Amino acid sequence: MKIDTRKKELLINLLSLVVFVVLWQAVLILTREGIFNIPFIRLRDIPTPVETWHALLGSMFTHIYGPALTYGIYDHVFASLERVIEGGIIAFIIGVPVGIGVGYSKLIGNIFNPIIEIVRNMPPMAWIPIAIFIFVSGGSIFIVFIGVVFPIILNTIQGVRSTDERLLDAARTLGASELMIVTKVIIPSAFPSIMTGLRIGLGVGWMAIVAAEMVIRSPVGLGYFIWNMGDLGRYAEMIAGMIVIGVIGYMMNISILLLQRRFIKWAD
Amino acid sequence: MGRLILDSVTKKFNSFLALENVSFEVADGEFVCLLGPSGCGKTTILRLAAGLEAPIGGNLFLDGKKIEGVNKECGFVFQEYALFPWRTVKENIEFGPQAKGLHKNECDRISKHYIDLVGLNGFENHYPKELSGGMKQRVGIARAYANSPKLLLMDEPFGALDAQTRNLMQGELLRIWEKEHISVLFVTHSVDEAVFLGDKVVVMSARPGKIKEIFDVNLPRPRIRTSLEANIIRDKVLKSLGMEIKLAMKEK
Repeated sequence: MKIDTRKKELLINLLSLVVFVVLWQAVLILTREGIFNIPFIRLRDIPTPVETWHALLGSMFTHIYGPALTYGIYDHVFASLERVIEGGIIAFIIGVPVGIGVGYSKLIGNIFNPIIEIVRNMPPMAWIPIAIFIFVSGGSIFIVFIGVVFPIILNTIQGVRSTDERLLDAARTLGASELMIVTKVIIPSAFPSIMTGLRIGLGVGWMAIVAAEMVIRSPVGLGYFIWNMGDLGRYAEMIAGMIVIGVIGYMMNISILLLQRRFIKWAD
Repeated sequence: MGRLILDSVTKKFNSFLALENVSFEVADGEFVCLLGPSGCGKTTILRLAAGLEAPIGGNLFLDGKKIEGVNKECGFVFQEYALFPWRTVKENIEFGPQAKGLHKNECDRISKHYIDLVGLNGFENHYPKELSGGMKQRVGIARAYANSPKLLLMDEPFGALDAQTRNLMQGELLRIWEKEHISVLFVTHSVDEAVFLGDKVVVMSARPGKIKEIFDVNLPRPRIRTSLEANIIRDKVLKSLGMEIKLAMKEK
Protein backbone atom coordinates (compact mmCIF):
# COMPACT_ATOMS: atom_id res chain seq x y z
CA MET A 1 0.00 0.00 0.00
CA LYS A 2 2.66 2.46 1.09
CA ILE A 3 5.03 1.41 -1.67
CA ASP A 4 2.24 1.79 -4.21
CA THR A 5 1.60 5.39 -3.18
CA ARG A 6 5.33 6.10 -3.34
CA LYS A 7 5.51 4.62 -6.84
CA LYS A 8 2.50 6.63 -7.88
CA GLU A 9 4.06 9.82 -6.61
CA LEU A 10 7.31 9.13 -8.45
CA LEU A 11 5.38 8.44 -11.62
CA ILE A 12 3.53 11.75 -11.33
CA ASN A 13 6.84 13.56 -10.71
CA LEU A 14 8.36 11.98 -13.78
CA LEU A 15 5.31 12.66 -15.91
CA SER A 16 5.35 16.31 -14.89
CA LEU A 17 8.93 16.63 -16.19
CA VAL A 18 8.07 14.86 -19.43
CA VAL A 19 5.01 17.03 -20.01
CA PHE A 20 7.08 20.14 -19.40
CA VAL A 21 9.71 19.11 -21.96
CA VAL A 22 7.08 18.11 -24.54
CA LEU A 23 5.26 21.43 -24.09
CA TRP A 24 8.54 23.31 -24.44
CA GLN A 25 9.31 21.46 -27.69
CA ALA A 26 5.74 21.90 -29.00
CA VAL A 27 5.54 25.62 -28.29
CA LEU A 28 8.87 26.27 -30.01
CA ILE A 29 7.97 24.23 -33.08
CA LEU A 30 4.64 26.04 -33.39
CA THR A 31 6.45 29.35 -32.99
CA ARG A 32 9.04 28.53 -35.63
CA GLU A 33 6.27 27.45 -38.01
CA GLY A 34 4.70 30.87 -37.48
CA ILE A 35 1.53 29.40 -35.98
CA PHE A 36 2.08 30.65 -32.44
CA ASN A 37 3.48 33.94 -31.28
CA ILE A 38 3.65 36.03 -28.11
CA PRO A 39 4.26 39.72 -28.79
CA PHE A 40 7.46 41.25 -27.37
CA ILE A 41 9.01 37.85 -26.62
CA ARG A 42 11.50 36.41 -29.06
CA LEU A 43 10.41 32.85 -28.55
CA ARG A 44 12.06 31.68 -31.73
CA ASP A 45 15.52 32.39 -30.28
CA ILE A 46 14.98 29.91 -27.49
CA PRO A 47 16.55 26.54 -28.23
CA THR A 48 14.37 23.43 -28.18
CA PRO A 49 14.93 20.66 -25.61
CA VAL A 50 16.46 18.54 -28.36
CA GLU A 51 18.94 21.25 -29.31
CA THR A 52 19.72 21.81 -25.64
CA TRP A 53 20.34 18.10 -25.17
CA HIS A 54 22.77 18.05 -28.08
CA ALA A 55 24.51 21.15 -26.76
CA LEU A 56 24.84 19.49 -23.36
CA LEU A 57 26.34 16.34 -24.86
CA GLY A 58 28.60 18.43 -27.06
CA SER A 59 29.91 20.46 -24.19
CA MET A 60 30.41 17.32 -22.14
CA PHE A 61 32.44 15.20 -24.46
CA THR A 62 34.43 17.75 -26.43
CA HIS A 63 36.13 20.94 -25.63
CA ILE A 64 34.55 22.74 -28.52
CA TYR A 65 34.85 26.24 -27.34
CA GLY A 66 37.44 28.22 -29.19
CA PRO A 67 40.13 30.51 -27.88
CA ALA A 68 37.91 32.32 -25.40
CA LEU A 69 36.55 29.12 -23.97
CA THR A 70 39.07 26.37 -23.73
CA TYR A 71 37.17 24.41 -21.13
CA GLY A 72 34.54 21.68 -21.25
CA ILE A 73 31.46 21.86 -19.06
CA TYR A 74 33.01 19.48 -16.52
CA ASP A 75 35.73 22.02 -15.83
CA HIS A 76 33.12 24.71 -15.30
CA VAL A 77 31.14 22.48 -12.97
CA PHE A 78 34.18 21.53 -10.92
CA ALA A 79 35.45 25.10 -10.75
CA SER A 80 32.12 26.31 -9.40
CA LEU A 81 31.73 23.35 -7.04
CA GLU A 82 35.24 23.88 -5.71
CA ARG A 83 34.47 27.50 -4.88
CA VAL A 84 31.19 26.61 -3.19
CA ILE A 85 32.85 23.89 -1.12
CA GLU A 86 35.74 26.13 -0.10
CA GLY A 87 33.47 29.03 0.77
CA GLY A 88 31.12 26.61 2.52
CA ILE A 89 33.89 25.10 4.67
CA ILE A 90 35.11 28.54 5.75
CA ALA A 91 31.53 29.60 6.50
CA PHE A 92 30.97 26.41 8.54
CA ILE A 93 34.17 26.86 10.54
CA ILE A 94 33.26 30.46 11.38
CA GLY A 95 29.46 30.24 11.46
CA VAL A 96 29.00 27.29 13.83
CA PRO A 97 31.11 28.68 16.72
CA VAL A 98 29.56 32.13 16.29
CA GLY A 99 26.06 30.62 16.29
CA ILE A 100 26.81 28.52 19.37
CA GLY A 101 28.26 31.52 21.20
CA VAL A 102 25.35 33.79 20.33
CA GLY A 103 22.75 31.13 21.13
CA TYR A 104 24.38 30.15 24.41
CA SER A 105 25.45 33.44 25.94
CA LYS A 106 23.36 36.59 26.23
CA LEU A 107 26.50 38.69 26.33
CA ILE A 108 27.96 37.23 23.14
CA GLY A 109 24.50 37.55 21.59
CA ASN A 110 24.33 41.23 22.45
CA ILE A 111 27.79 41.77 21.00
CA PHE A 112 27.21 39.99 17.69
CA ASN A 113 23.49 40.46 17.07
CA PRO A 114 23.56 44.04 15.73
CA ILE A 115 26.26 43.13 13.21
CA ILE A 116 24.55 39.89 12.20
CA GLU A 117 21.13 41.49 11.86
CA ILE A 118 22.38 44.23 9.53
CA VAL A 119 24.96 42.36 7.51
CA ARG A 120 22.71 39.35 6.86
CA ASN A 121 20.31 41.61 5.01
CA MET A 122 22.94 42.54 2.44
CA PRO A 123 22.54 40.03 -0.39
CA PRO A 124 25.73 38.18 -1.41
CA MET A 125 25.53 39.93 -4.80
CA ALA A 126 25.84 43.32 -3.11
CA TRP A 127 29.29 42.23 -1.95
CA ILE A 128 30.57 41.55 -5.47
CA PRO A 129 31.99 45.04 -6.15
CA ILE A 130 33.95 45.13 -2.91
CA ALA A 131 35.06 41.53 -3.42
CA ILE A 132 36.53 42.49 -6.80
CA PHE A 133 38.14 45.49 -5.20
CA ILE A 134 39.81 43.87 -2.17
CA PHE A 135 40.52 40.29 -3.25
CA VAL A 136 43.41 39.72 -5.61
CA SER A 137 41.97 36.28 -6.17
CA GLY A 138 39.28 34.18 -4.55
CA GLY A 139 36.69 36.96 -4.62
CA SER A 140 33.98 34.52 -5.64
CA ILE A 141 34.82 32.23 -2.71
CA PHE A 142 34.21 35.22 -0.48
CA ILE A 143 30.79 35.76 -2.09
CA VAL A 144 29.93 32.12 -1.40
CA PHE A 145 31.09 32.56 2.18
CA ILE A 146 28.73 35.52 2.64
CA GLY A 147 25.86 33.48 1.21
CA VAL A 148 26.50 30.38 3.33
CA VAL A 149 27.54 31.85 6.67
CA PHE A 150 24.29 33.54 7.69
CA PRO A 151 21.94 30.59 7.26
CA ILE A 152 24.46 28.54 9.26
CA ILE A 153 24.70 31.15 12.03
CA LEU A 154 20.95 31.66 12.28
CA ASN A 155 20.08 27.97 12.27
CA THR A 156 22.81 27.20 14.80
CA ILE A 157 21.47 29.92 17.13
CA GLN A 158 17.98 28.52 16.76
CA GLY A 159 19.18 24.97 17.40
CA VAL A 160 21.12 25.99 20.50
CA ARG A 161 18.20 27.96 21.90
CA SER A 162 15.71 25.16 21.39
CA THR A 163 17.71 22.67 23.48
CA ASP A 164 15.26 20.87 25.75
CA GLU A 165 15.37 22.50 29.20
CA ARG A 166 14.90 19.10 30.87
CA LEU A 167 17.98 17.70 29.17
CA LEU A 168 19.98 20.62 30.57
CA ASP A 169 18.53 19.91 34.03
CA ALA A 170 19.32 16.21 33.65
CA ALA A 171 22.91 16.99 32.66
CA ARG A 172 23.32 19.41 35.57
CA THR A 173 22.07 16.96 38.17
CA LEU A 174 24.39 14.33 36.67
CA GLY A 175 27.25 16.64 37.51
CA ALA A 176 28.10 18.02 34.08
CA SER A 177 30.35 21.08 33.93
CA GLU A 178 29.30 24.04 31.76
CA LEU A 179 31.82 22.90 29.13
CA MET A 180 30.33 19.40 29.12
CA ILE A 181 26.83 20.87 28.85
CA VAL A 182 27.88 22.79 25.75
CA THR A 183 29.83 19.98 24.09
CA LYS A 184 27.73 16.98 25.15
CA VAL A 185 24.22 18.40 25.31
CA ILE A 186 23.81 21.68 23.44
CA ILE A 187 25.91 20.86 20.38
CA PRO A 188 24.47 17.38 19.74
CA SER A 189 21.00 18.76 20.30
CA ALA A 190 21.62 21.61 17.84
CA PHE A 191 23.34 19.38 15.29
CA PRO A 192 20.27 18.73 13.10
CA SER A 193 19.62 22.49 12.94
CA ILE A 194 23.26 23.12 12.07
CA MET A 195 22.98 20.66 9.19
CA THR A 196 19.79 22.37 8.03
CA GLY A 197 21.67 25.67 8.09
CA LEU A 198 24.44 24.15 6.02
CA ARG A 199 21.93 22.81 3.52
CA ILE A 200 20.09 26.11 3.14
CA GLY A 201 23.40 27.99 3.12
CA LEU A 202 24.89 25.88 0.35
CA GLY A 203 21.74 26.51 -1.70
CA VAL A 204 22.24 30.24 -1.30
CA GLY A 205 25.97 29.85 -1.95
CA TRP A 206 25.31 27.93 -5.15
CA MET A 207 23.13 30.79 -6.43
CA ALA A 208 25.68 33.34 -5.29
CA ILE A 209 28.57 31.64 -7.06
CA VAL A 210 26.82 31.78 -10.42
CA ALA A 211 26.19 35.51 -10.02
CA ALA A 212 29.72 36.13 -8.77
CA GLU A 213 31.30 34.29 -11.67
CA MET A 214 29.25 36.31 -14.14
CA VAL A 215 30.48 39.59 -12.72
CA ILE A 216 33.97 38.66 -11.60
CA ARG A 217 34.64 36.93 -14.93
CA SER A 218 36.70 34.11 -13.61
CA PRO A 219 37.89 32.19 -16.67
CA VAL A 220 36.08 29.02 -15.54
CA GLY A 221 32.82 28.48 -13.70
CA LEU A 222 29.21 27.81 -14.62
CA GLY A 223 28.21 31.44 -14.17
CA TYR A 224 30.90 32.53 -16.54
CA PHE A 225 29.97 29.72 -18.92
CA ILE A 226 26.32 30.70 -19.33
CA TRP A 227 27.15 34.40 -19.49
CA ASN A 228 29.70 33.77 -22.24
CA MET A 229 27.46 31.42 -24.19
CA GLY A 230 24.81 34.12 -24.10
CA ASP A 231 27.36 36.64 -25.40
CA LEU A 232 28.35 34.30 -28.17
CA GLY A 233 24.73 33.66 -29.11
CA ARG A 234 25.06 29.96 -28.28
CA TYR A 235 21.76 29.79 -26.51
CA ALA A 236 21.47 26.00 -26.48
CA GLU A 237 24.74 25.74 -24.52
CA MET A 238 23.56 28.55 -22.28
CA ILE A 239 20.31 26.74 -21.42
CA ALA A 240 22.22 23.48 -20.97
CA GLY A 241 24.44 25.29 -18.47
CA MET A 242 21.38 26.58 -16.62
CA ILE A 243 19.95 23.08 -16.37
CA VAL A 244 23.25 21.77 -15.05
CA ILE A 245 23.18 24.48 -12.38
CA GLY A 246 19.67 23.46 -11.35
CA VAL A 247 20.42 19.74 -11.27
CA ILE A 248 23.62 20.17 -9.26
CA GLY A 249 21.86 22.43 -6.75
CA TYR A 250 19.19 19.77 -6.36
CA MET A 251 21.77 17.03 -5.92
CA MET A 252 23.64 19.03 -3.28
CA ASN A 253 20.43 19.45 -1.31
CA ILE A 254 19.57 15.76 -1.54
CA SER A 255 23.04 14.57 -0.60
CA ILE A 256 23.11 16.68 2.56
CA LEU A 257 19.64 15.39 3.47
CA LEU A 258 20.91 11.83 3.02
CA LEU A 259 24.05 12.55 5.04
CA GLN A 260 21.88 14.04 7.75
CA ARG A 261 19.67 10.98 7.86
CA ARG A 262 22.72 8.73 8.01
CA PHE A 263 24.59 10.55 10.71
CA ILE A 264 21.62 11.48 12.87
CA LYS A 265 20.25 8.01 13.40
CA TRP A 266 18.87 8.94 16.78
CA ALA A 267 16.35 11.52 15.54
CA ASP A 268 12.69 10.60 15.08
CA MET B 1 24.04 8.68 54.24
CA GLY B 2 21.25 10.36 52.30
CA ARG B 3 19.28 12.30 54.86
CA LEU B 4 17.31 15.17 53.37
CA ILE B 5 15.90 17.87 55.61
CA LEU B 6 13.57 20.65 54.51
CA ASP B 7 13.44 23.35 57.12
CA SER B 8 10.63 25.92 56.71
CA VAL B 9 11.20 26.16 52.97
CA THR B 10 9.36 28.94 51.14
CA LYS B 11 9.47 29.47 47.40
CA LYS B 12 7.98 32.22 45.27
CA PHE B 13 7.80 32.50 41.48
CA ASN B 14 7.51 36.24 40.92
CA SER B 15 4.56 37.05 43.14
CA PHE B 16 3.14 33.53 43.17
CA LEU B 17 3.69 31.78 46.48
CA ALA B 18 4.44 28.19 45.47
CA LEU B 19 5.57 26.76 48.80
CA GLU B 20 5.04 28.11 52.28
CA ASN B 21 6.93 26.91 55.34
CA VAL B 22 7.46 23.37 54.15
CA SER B 23 9.29 21.17 56.62
CA PHE B 24 9.79 17.43 56.51
CA GLU B 25 12.53 14.91 56.42
CA VAL B 26 13.61 11.96 54.34
CA ALA B 27 15.58 9.73 56.69
CA ASP B 28 18.60 7.79 55.58
CA GLY B 29 17.52 5.00 53.25
CA GLU B 30 13.88 5.95 53.53
CA PHE B 31 11.36 5.88 50.70
CA VAL B 32 9.11 8.94 50.96
CA CYS B 33 6.19 9.66 48.65
CA LEU B 34 4.93 13.19 48.08
CA LEU B 35 1.27 13.36 47.27
CA GLY B 36 -0.95 16.34 46.56
CA PRO B 37 -3.31 18.07 44.15
CA SER B 38 -1.77 19.34 40.92
CA GLY B 39 -0.05 22.66 41.26
CA CYS B 40 0.75 22.18 44.95
CA GLY B 41 4.48 22.45 44.39
CA LYS B 42 5.52 18.79 44.50
CA THR B 43 7.87 19.18 41.56
CA THR B 44 9.18 22.43 43.01
CA ILE B 45 10.26 20.55 46.14
CA LEU B 46 12.22 18.10 43.99
CA ARG B 47 13.82 20.94 42.04
CA LEU B 48 14.80 22.64 45.28
CA ALA B 49 16.32 19.42 46.60
CA ALA B 50 18.24 19.06 43.32
CA GLY B 51 19.48 22.62 43.64
CA LEU B 52 17.93 23.53 40.29
CA GLU B 53 15.98 26.24 42.12
CA ALA B 54 16.77 28.19 45.27
CA PRO B 55 14.27 28.86 48.07
CA ILE B 56 13.53 32.43 49.13
CA GLY B 57 13.18 31.33 52.74
CA GLY B 58 14.29 28.35 54.80
CA ASN B 59 16.98 25.81 54.07
CA LEU B 60 17.48 22.35 52.63
CA PHE B 61 20.18 20.05 53.91
CA LEU B 62 21.52 16.79 52.57
CA ASP B 63 23.49 14.92 55.22
CA GLY B 64 23.81 18.12 57.16
CA LYS B 65 25.24 20.03 54.20
CA LYS B 66 23.21 23.01 53.00
CA ILE B 67 22.05 22.62 49.40
CA GLU B 68 23.36 25.57 47.42
CA GLY B 69 23.77 25.42 43.67
CA VAL B 70 23.19 22.20 41.73
CA ASN B 71 23.17 19.25 44.10
CA LYS B 72 25.42 16.70 42.42
CA GLU B 73 24.75 14.12 45.10
CA CYS B 74 21.20 13.49 44.00
CA GLY B 75 19.85 11.58 41.05
CA PHE B 76 16.85 13.02 39.22
CA VAL B 77 14.35 10.83 37.37
CA PHE B 78 11.97 12.77 35.13
CA GLN B 79 8.40 12.00 34.17
CA GLU B 80 9.11 12.24 30.44
CA TYR B 81 12.43 10.40 30.92
CA ALA B 82 14.63 13.27 29.60
CA LEU B 83 17.07 10.81 28.06
CA PHE B 84 19.68 12.18 25.68
CA PRO B 85 18.21 11.08 22.35
CA TRP B 86 21.62 11.05 20.60
CA ARG B 87 23.10 8.69 23.18
CA THR B 88 22.51 4.96 23.29
CA VAL B 89 21.27 3.26 26.44
CA LYS B 90 24.85 2.61 27.53
CA GLU B 91 25.99 6.14 26.71
CA ASN B 92 23.06 7.65 28.59
CA ILE B 93 23.94 5.66 31.70
CA GLU B 94 27.61 6.65 31.36
CA PHE B 95 26.87 10.37 31.26
CA GLY B 96 27.26 10.82 35.03
CA PRO B 97 30.43 8.73 35.36
CA GLN B 98 31.90 10.61 32.37
CA ALA B 99 31.01 13.93 34.00
CA LYS B 100 33.02 12.79 37.01
CA GLY B 101 35.96 12.19 34.71
CA LEU B 102 36.09 8.45 35.39
CA HIS B 103 38.25 6.26 33.19
CA LYS B 104 36.56 4.52 30.26
CA ASN B 105 36.97 1.07 31.83
CA GLU B 106 35.34 2.30 35.00
CA CYS B 107 32.43 3.82 33.01
CA ASP B 108 32.05 0.50 31.21
CA ARG B 109 31.94 -1.40 34.48
CA ILE B 110 29.35 0.95 35.98
CA SER B 111 27.06 0.97 32.94
CA LYS B 112 27.25 -2.81 32.71
CA HIS B 113 26.30 -3.15 36.36
CA TYR B 114 23.25 -0.90 36.04
CA ILE B 115 22.16 -2.31 32.70
CA ASP B 116 22.12 -5.69 34.47
CA LEU B 117 20.30 -4.25 37.45
CA VAL B 118 17.45 -2.70 35.46
CA GLY B 119 17.27 -5.65 33.07
CA LEU B 120 18.22 -3.95 29.82
CA ASN B 121 20.75 -6.54 28.62
CA GLY B 122 20.77 -6.69 24.86
CA PHE B 123 19.60 -3.10 24.54
CA GLU B 124 22.93 -1.42 25.34
CA ASN B 125 23.31 0.08 21.90
CA HIS B 126 19.70 1.07 21.28
CA TYR B 127 18.72 4.70 21.00
CA PRO B 128 15.91 5.98 23.25
CA LYS B 129 13.52 6.30 20.31
CA GLU B 130 13.78 2.54 19.84
CA LEU B 131 12.59 1.80 23.39
CA SER B 132 9.14 1.54 24.97
CA GLY B 133 8.13 3.95 27.73
CA GLY B 134 8.87 1.42 30.47
CA MET B 135 12.31 0.66 29.05
CA LYS B 136 13.08 4.38 28.70
CA GLN B 137 12.34 4.87 32.37
CA ARG B 138 14.55 1.90 33.25
CA VAL B 139 17.34 3.81 31.49
CA GLY B 140 16.33 6.96 33.39
CA ILE B 141 16.60 5.09 36.70
CA ALA B 142 19.87 3.40 35.76
CA ARG B 143 21.31 6.75 34.65
CA ALA B 144 20.41 8.32 37.99
CA TYR B 145 21.83 5.38 39.98
CA ALA B 146 25.03 5.26 37.93
CA ASN B 147 26.09 8.55 39.48
CA SER B 148 26.00 6.87 42.93
CA PRO B 149 23.73 9.53 44.44
CA LYS B 150 22.84 9.72 48.10
CA LEU B 151 19.28 10.64 47.29
CA LEU B 152 17.01 9.77 44.39
CA LEU B 153 14.45 12.38 43.34
CA MET B 154 11.66 10.97 41.19
CA ASP B 155 9.10 13.20 39.52
CA GLU B 156 6.07 11.09 38.64
CA PRO B 157 8.43 8.67 36.91
CA PHE B 158 5.68 6.23 35.91
CA GLY B 159 3.01 8.83 35.15
CA ALA B 160 3.28 8.37 31.40
CA LEU B 161 3.08 4.57 31.50
CA ASP B 162 0.04 2.35 31.09
CA ALA B 163 -1.38 0.77 34.26
CA GLN B 164 0.20 -2.64 33.75
CA THR B 165 3.69 -1.37 32.98
CA ARG B 166 3.31 0.99 35.88
CA ASN B 167 2.67 -1.82 38.37
CA LEU B 168 5.57 -3.77 36.96
CA MET B 169 7.90 -0.77 37.22
CA GLN B 170 6.86 -0.08 40.81
CA GLY B 171 7.93 -3.63 41.70
CA GLU B 172 11.16 -3.20 39.76
CA LEU B 173 11.92 0.09 41.50
CA LEU B 174 11.48 -1.50 44.93
CA ARG B 175 13.69 -4.43 43.92
CA ILE B 176 16.44 -2.01 42.83
CA TRP B 177 15.96 0.19 45.86
CA GLU B 178 16.30 -2.77 48.21
CA LYS B 179 19.60 -3.70 46.52
CA GLU B 180 21.10 -0.20 46.39
CA HIS B 181 19.68 1.24 49.55
CA ILE B 182 19.54 4.99 49.06
CA SER B 183 16.90 7.49 50.11
CA VAL B 184 14.11 8.22 47.66
CA LEU B 185 11.77 11.18 47.41
CA PHE B 186 9.04 10.16 45.02
CA VAL B 187 6.39 12.52 43.65
CA THR B 188 3.13 11.00 42.51
CA HIS B 189 -0.52 11.85 42.25
CA SER B 190 -1.59 8.26 42.75
CA VAL B 191 -2.59 7.23 46.28
CA ASP B 192 -2.20 3.54 45.37
CA GLU B 193 1.32 4.12 44.17
CA ALA B 194 2.26 6.16 47.23
CA VAL B 195 0.94 3.56 49.70
CA PHE B 196 2.48 0.66 47.77
CA LEU B 197 5.93 2.26 47.60
CA GLY B 198 6.45 4.60 50.51
CA ASP B 199 7.70 4.18 54.05
CA LYS B 200 6.08 7.53 54.56
CA VAL B 201 3.45 9.43 52.58
CA VAL B 202 3.55 13.21 52.76
CA VAL B 203 0.24 14.81 51.79
CA MET B 204 0.39 18.39 50.60
CA SER B 205 -2.22 21.09 50.22
CA ALA B 206 -2.27 23.62 47.42
CA ARG B 207 -2.10 27.40 47.00
CA PRO B 208 0.21 27.89 48.64
CA GLY B 209 1.82 24.45 48.85
CA LYS B 210 2.02 23.31 52.46
CA ILE B 211 2.47 20.02 54.27
CA LYS B 212 -0.93 18.83 55.37
CA GLU B 213 -0.39 15.46 56.94
CA ILE B 214 2.29 12.82 57.08
CA PHE B 215 1.37 9.12 57.18
CA ASP B 216 3.68 6.30 58.18
CA VAL B 217 3.15 3.16 56.15
CA ASN B 218 4.35 0.47 58.51
CA LEU B 219 3.63 -2.45 56.25
CA PRO B 220 6.19 -5.20 55.66
CA ARG B 221 7.56 -5.66 52.15
CA PRO B 222 6.78 -7.20 49.75
CA ARG B 223 3.44 -5.50 50.16
CA ILE B 224 0.18 -6.83 48.94
CA ARG B 225 -1.75 -4.16 47.12
CA THR B 226 -5.12 -5.50 48.15
CA SER B 227 -4.38 -6.24 51.82
CA LEU B 228 -6.72 -4.89 54.46
CA GLU B 229 -3.95 -2.91 56.15
CA ALA B 230 -3.03 -1.22 52.89
CA ASN B 231 -6.66 -0.38 52.29
CA ILE B 232 -7.01 1.24 55.70
CA ILE B 233 -4.01 3.48 55.07
CA ARG B 234 -5.19 4.25 51.55
CA ASP B 235 -8.53 5.27 52.95
CA LYS B 236 -6.95 7.67 55.45
CA VAL B 237 -4.69 9.20 52.80
CA LEU B 238 -7.56 9.52 50.35
CA LYS B 239 -9.67 11.32 52.92
CA SER B 240 -6.87 13.72 53.74
CA LEU B 241 -6.17 14.29 50.07
CA GLY B 242 -9.81 14.31 49.04
CA MET B 243 -10.55 17.30 51.19
CA GLU B 244 -7.58 19.05 49.70
CA ILE B 245 -8.64 18.38 46.15
CA LYS B 246 -12.10 19.77 46.92
CA LEU B 247 -10.55 22.88 48.43
CA ALA B 248 -8.21 23.37 45.48
CA MET B 249 -11.13 23.03 43.07
CA LYS B 250 -13.20 25.53 44.96
CA GLU B 251 -10.45 28.13 44.72
CA LYS B 252 -10.21 27.64 41.00
